[in-house]
This record gives sequence, C-alpha cells and structure tokens, in this order.
Amino acid sequence: MNLETFENRVLPTKNKLFRFAFRLLGSSEEAKDIVQEVLIKVWNGREQMAEVQNMEAWCMRITKNLSLDRLRSRQRRATDPIEEGMEIRNETLTPHERTEIHENMQRLNEMIAALPEKQRQVIHLRDIEGYSYNEICEILELDMNQVKVNLFRARTAVREKFVKINAYGL
Amino acid sequence: MDSKHIEQLLEKYWNCDTSLEEEQHLREYFRGDVPESMNEVAEVFRYFDKQQKQQVNSPDFDAVVKKKIRQHRPEGKLVKMFYSYGRIAAGLLVVVAATYFVRQEVRKAYPPEIADTYSDPKLALEETKKALMMISKGFNKAHREASKIKAFNEAEVKIQGKTLEESEENEKKI
Repeated sequence: MNLETFENRVLPTKNKLFRFAFRLLGSSEEAKDIVQEVLIKVWNGREQMAEVQNMEAWCMRITKNLSLDRLRSRQRRATDPIEEGMEIRNETLTPHERTEIHENMQRLNEMIAALPEKQRQVIHLRDIEGYSYNEICEILELDMNQVKVNLFRARTAVREKFVKINAYGL
Repeated sequence: MDSKHIEQLLEKYWNCDTSLEEEQHLREYFRGDVPESMNEVAEVFRYFDKQQKQQVNSPDFDAVVKKKIRQHRPEGKLVKMFYSYGRIAAGLLVVVAATYFVRQEVRKAYPPEIADTYSDPKLALEETKKALMMISKGFNKAHREASKIKAFNEAEVKIQGKTLEESEENEKKI
C-alpha cells in the first residue's frame, strides 16, 4: 500500500471509525485519539494487510479493539466513568447544536448509551452505519447468531423504552 | 407509499427480518411527513440518519495523521539493518580498544630487558671483564673446596681394601 491508496481507501473511513469509537467511549477527544492510532497502525502494518479484503471492516475491527482497551484502562484508573461519559456527551455539542437537537434525540442517545456493550455495538453498526450482517460478524468477531440476538434485543429495547412509552404515555 | 406496507415492513424490522435495502427504504420514508401515529418511530429513524452524519470535528485531522505517518517512515529495513550491524561493530570496537590498552599497560609494567647501560665501549669491556673475573674467582674457590671431597673417596677405597690403582681401573672401566 502506498501513500496514495492509503489516502484514497483508508483515510476516508475516518468518520465511520470516529462515530464507532465515539459510541463506545462517549468522548470525542478520546475517539479522535483512537482513530489516529488506528490509521497509524494500519499504515505501519500495511505489508501484512495486503491480503485483507475488506479494508473498512478491518479498520473498524481495530477501532473496536483499541476502544475496548481504552475503556478497560480507564476503568483500571478508577476514575468515575459514568460521570465522565455524561459530561463529555454534552461538551461535544456546540451551543447551536444543543438547541437544535430535539429532546428526543438526546433521550435516544442516552438510551443507546445505556445498552449493554454488544447490543450497543451491533445496533450502531447496523442501524446507523448500515453494515451487512456478515460485515458485522467480521468487525465484532462474533458469529451470525450472536449478532442477530444482540440486534434483536437492542431493537426491542428501543421499541419498548422509546416508541411505546412515547406513543401511549405509559 | 401506503402506510399498510410500511407497517408490515416495520414489524419485520422489529423482528430483525428486514434486509439492508428495506431498512434504507424505511429510513427514506421517515425522512418525509408521516402519519401522527408513526411520529415516535420516525424519530428513531431520523436519529439514526442524523447520527450517520456526525464527523470528526477537527479540520487538521488529515494533516496530523499524514504528518505522523511521514515521521514514521524512516524506520525502514535499511535503518534496522544499519542498527543491528552498528551494534556488532560497536562490540568489536570495545574488544579491540580493550586489548590495545591492556597491552600498553603490560609494556609499562615490564620494560624491555635489553638496554645499554654504558655509553663508552672500553668502560663496558672493563666492567664485563671485572664481572667475569668475579665469577671465575668464585668458580676456583668452589673447585678448591670440591677437591677436598677426593679425600673422602680415598678413605672409602682404603676401607674397602682396594688399592687406589684398582679403583682407578674400575673408574676407567666404567
């Protein structure tokens, strides 16, 4: 891989990688760090990656692994992870965006952030990024069954917590 | 698009039986105006739509990454090769230097033995003669003392009842 292919094929995935890292970490600064790390890792390992077919899925997978590592080390440092996440979620929005975003959007954000890790990953990859089930399996290193179960649970949670409650005021 | 069809699709969606195309279809549908009963669901799909537009919010991101990549470049095979050979060369250099210094120390501790002590050859000859005379005097003295041992030999011969001549003959035979 030369610099040109890197710029044309790998660098443009940065926003997808960023969104995924952001979904996992809840901090845009950290997500940005992770994406940078991923891109540099891909570049340094470009010779071994010659046979990788789906470059994007590969990058997503590295993003997932590095993000989870970061999460784990954050927990080890024993800072208060919940508070940090909440605080940063608001901080990443400009005042303009904050007023623009509907209250419901905010609620959905928090709801998905509260989902178990796997469900959150799967619903992000499928419903926001629009990946196929096969690609999700590849990215998350799960089998098809696990992906579908997690997606089903995540969608059901959204349906029950958001759609039904809002619709019927329960 | 009739809402009956959409409702069916939605039900499929909640059961995770929709294809990517069908999900895309739903997204597009909910972008527009929808019946009031579907407001909540529409909100969910609009949320997904909006989330997908989120981007890295730093304009110099690409530049930073490219810069870091370029910094990483020099660490190629050639550099690594020089590095490993350099280590071997440094090791050899240490050994060679150590040997050199040790040899120098040894030379200092044991200076060469052959050295001229006299500049005048005549004086040197005199001194040598004197030294040789001293040694030969010592030799002569030792020789005189050693000849006394002969007396013991003669005594031994007499005791054994043999004549001096005989013993001398014996000595010759031997």
